[in-house]
Amino acid sequence: MSMSMYILSSGEISALVTELQASYDVYGPQVEPQTKQVFFDQLATPAALDLEAPIPSMPVKEILFPQMERILKYKYDAENQSVAMSKQYFERPKALFGLRPCDLSGILVLDRFFLGQEFVDDVYLTHRRQCLLISNTCLHPFPQCFCVCTHSGPDADEGFDLDLTKLQDGYLLRVGSEKGQAIADAHQWQVATPRHAKEFKAVVDRSIDLFPEMATDNKAWVAKVMNRITTGFVKQETWEYIGDQCFECGACSFVCPTCSCFNIEDTQTACGECERLRMRDSCSFEGYARMAGDHNPRQPVEDRRNKRFFCKLSYPQSKKYLRPGCVGCGRCQWVCPGDIGLPNVVQYIRREITGGQN
Amino acid sequence: MSKVHGNHGNCKETGLCPIVTFPEVVNIDEIRDEIPEVKTFYLSFPNKDVEREFRIKSGQFIMCTVFGAGEFAVSLPPSPENDRFHISVRAVGKVTHALHALKPGDKLGVRGPFGNGFPFDEIKGKNIIYVAGGIGLIPLRSSIVHALQHREDFGRIILLYGARSSKDLMYQPDIREWQQNAGFETFITIDRPEEGWSGEVGYVNQLIEKANVPVDNSVAFVCGPPVMFNSVIGEFLKRGMSEDAIISTLERQMKCGIGKCQHCAVGRTLVCTDGPVYTYRQIKTLGEQI
Repeated sequence: MSMSMYILSSGEISALVTELQASYDVYGPQVEPQTKQVFFDQLATPAALDLEAPIPSMPVKEILFPQMERILKYKYDAENQSVAMSKQYFERPKALFGLRPCDLSGILVLDRFFLGQEFVDDVYLTHRRQCLLISNTCLHPFPQCFCVCTHSGPDADEGFDLDLTKLQDGYLLRVGSEKGQAIADAHQWQVATPRHAKEFKAVVDRSIDLFPEMATDNKAWVAKVMNRITTGFVKQETWEYIGDQCFECGACSFVCPTCSCFNIEDTQTACGECERLRMRDSCSFEGYARMAGDHNPRQPVEDRRNKRFFCKLSYPQSKKYLRPGCVGCGRCQWVCPGDIGLPNVVQYIRREITGGQN
Repeated sequence: MSKVHGNHGNCKETGLCPIVTFPEVVNIDEIRDEIPEVKTFYLSFPNKDVEREFRIKSGQFIMCTVFGAGEFAVSLPPSPENDRFHISVRAVGKVTHALHALKPGDKLGVRGPFGNGFPFDEIKGKNIIYVAGGIGLIPLRSSIVHALQHREDFGRIILLYGARSSKDLMYQPDIREWQQNAGFETFITIDRPEEGWSGEVGYVNQLIEKANVPVDNSVAFVCGPPVMFNSVIGEFLKRGMSEDAIISTLERQMKCGIGKCQHCAVGRTLVCTDGPVYTYRQIKTLGEQI
């Protein structure tokens, strides 16, 4: 399908939000006025949408794979020895409006992991089934961004239904799917010209040029480090150095757009009533692999750390995701109380490879 | 039962989808005490359509819900053919203790069956050596019964079984029944001498010598605590058994059973979908404690 492109005014963007709100729960980036924190949350009005806001503090996976969600409810009656169950998740269609390309890539990773493997994850599918994805090009990087190293920005190149880029004349809207085209066909938007396409390319190139050295420096090294991690050539000392800095807080997993581990627990809500909760988990926790009877096959912290980076940067894992497991958003670097956000781990392994030269 | 399913082995082989997301209710028909802390629960599906579609392979496992307590992964001891549906469980943690407090007529939830299972067709014509320690006999039971149901398809069938004491030997009535089969060889040992015990004393690996196990054209199924596992593997390798012919089943904490929660990750594999059955050659490459 050749990609149709249109130019939309700010007014037309707002009108589109309003229109989508009729059939979707529309989520988008909003700036919390007091703290200036950015949240990707449900929009009360189109005016709350801020397409120029920096990347949200929490990844957008929160909407499709919540921190905690109830998936089952049951009542059991010990006296009559009976049980009644009810499926708990049912989700309205969602439109994610103004996704940063890193978060979009994160969703694609989750899609391939939850829907594309041996089994389909029914819970994730229910969230994802009727989703509309509208991405938003980053005109400049935000602190800690390094998506140019992981090929997930600053512009989106796959997986979106519609994609926005701010140009001088308004927003360039690129169509990425039949669903997106159907929306475009229902409007009389101005068709973009070759001049707009050229401007789009220039805007993306300028954005890439603005990435800090940390990002551009690591560009080749992410691929090299993936090779080292896959082949097991990273020295045990390096993993121990990384493990020593891990506080086992799990923050990296919770802010990572692609971390998908979860725990399932049944909790009592009333006498004889229970709900099954599915909540995110982190492989950095000591109890992650501990079995009943206290046998823990993955006790040492460095063992657990190298598993995380194996998940983010290795070929077997990227075969599942069809891309590296890291999308370069840099959130793990913001939140890590040690100094082992993913870009730093790349640096440490790079230092090992070069013998401390770089 | 969830009809959403993917590209998994059960579907491809049988056209039947396991119970993936929502547990199916089963009734506890009967409970038997096996050995201290271990009970066997005989189960049946009130929904007969589900029961018909619930086909297992030896070596697979289910996720079992104890209502009010939670869910745990448990191996399946019944043979895929003509056997009562049951599980044998040691009370170890919160959920299994809650399970042990139940009585006949109580309900459980079941999801599955999951996992790859033991090879059956590929090992036809070979000698089979089962090596089990303690409750390690539970996951092997299915394969033993299945092999005996097709006795003519195999060479020698040998069971080497060890436990701490004579009280810790699982499935004793079953073992006596299996011994009625022509050419089912059993060697049983306990760790320390005991009054009234006239059988072997010592560890399972010593039985390998005793049984004069055939190495050529043989497969060994090994299941037991890690310390037993290592000594048994060592003994087999010393005798020149191929690493591909030594087969075991691993245990991990599991939450989903379908390769999503990742708790059972070991090396580059997931025990729930890539395992739980591995050859020793595979186990060696996992690079982790077993």
